[in-house]
Amino acid sequence: MALVCGSASVTFPSSSFPRHSHRNTSSSSSSSLVGLQFPFHKLVSLSLSPSSSSNTNARTLRIHSQQQDSSILPPEQDPRFLCVEPEPRFKGPDIWNKTWYPKAADHVNTEKTWYVVDATDKVLGRLASTIAIHIRGKNLETYTPSVDMGAFVIVVNAEKVAVSGKKRTQKLYRRHSGRPGGMKVETFAQLQNRIPERIIEHAVRGMLPKGRLGRRLFTHLKVYEGPDHPHAAQKPIELPIQDKRIYLQR
Amino acid sequence: MTRIKRGYIARKRRTKIRLFTSSFRGAHSRLTRTISQQKIKALVSANRDRDRKKRGFRGLWIHRINAIIGKNKKKQYNRYSNLLYNMYKGQWLLNHKIVAQMGILKGNCLLMIANEIIT
Repeated sequence: MALVCGSASVTFPSSSFPRHSHRNTSSSSSSSLVGLQFPFHKLVSLSLSPSSSSNTNARTLRIHSQQQDSSILPPEQDPRFLCVEPEPRFKGPDIWNKTWYPKAADHVNTEKTWYVVDATDKVLGRLASTIAIHIRGKNLETYTPSVDMGAFVIVVNAEKVAVSGKKRTQKLYRRHSGRPGGMKVETFAQLQNRIPERIIEHAVRGMLPKGRLGRRLFTHLKVYEGPDHPHAAQKPIELPIQDKRIYLQR
Repeated sequence: MTRIKRGYIARKRRTKIRLFTSSFRGAHSRLTRTISQQKIKALVSANRDRDRKKRGFRGLWIHRINAIIGKNKKKQYNRYSNLLYNMYKGQWLLNHKIVAQMGILKGNCLLMIANEIIT
């Protein structure tokens, strides 16, 4: 299994990976090395068959398969499995067994990415969904539900956002002033004429979590009416859109 | 029967409960009857959430694995489900926690391994 990482981080798979699977399998069986041989065999045969050993001159693979090792040491003497107390790599905090949680330096606002997206002819809901995912940080491997790890998103040309069907005249935006009879109703078209930014803001706010964190995430959304935005200094990049149906089908 | 006052037995019991509830908010740390109730609720939550914690973390790991595998555009099937399927096929015996930690701490390594495994 360690054969795959041919780059500078070879020490990682060779030293820690067998240890982990060693701990996993040896808890049940008495002879740990026998239990480890079987999966290693399989992986060697699976992975090495496409790249035959004759023409791998450019890539140097470090192979840790049991069948090619001439000197098989018992686990007490094999340097990979010797348990040295204290574990030399683990002198500090245990970064492997404790699930990673971001420190304050990991989510500083000044170092977050800024994305810009043009809302022209994009379907409202699908656009809002993509924006919300990026603001929340759900596309990152460092996603933590309690921490704001997401990016900033700028939306330009907000008045050109599109909806399918008859939503332009039939979709209603309601708000209530709190007093009896204080319900105000507007159609999509009327609101787009009045305050076009509110349409996208309303859509994205509905997709962000509701709470203290959600309100803070919402402030990371910047919506503008025309093609200009005042955030050129943040050097925003294009928002990567995966959704194929986000463009309005005419 | 001779008269026996209760004395401070009840108070002794309640001070222990009060110590437990001492950091709670508002009336939950001040009023005697509320203190008893809140201690019970707190212990019930702690008991139930010890099992929920296991579920919660597993979901977080799965989400993190999906996120980093999804960044790999080379493969068509860059999803958590495909990674797990190929892990079982290739007999790669790692638990979710370590794979998720690998994704954060050694992301390139995990992507290299995933490229080899995912067909």
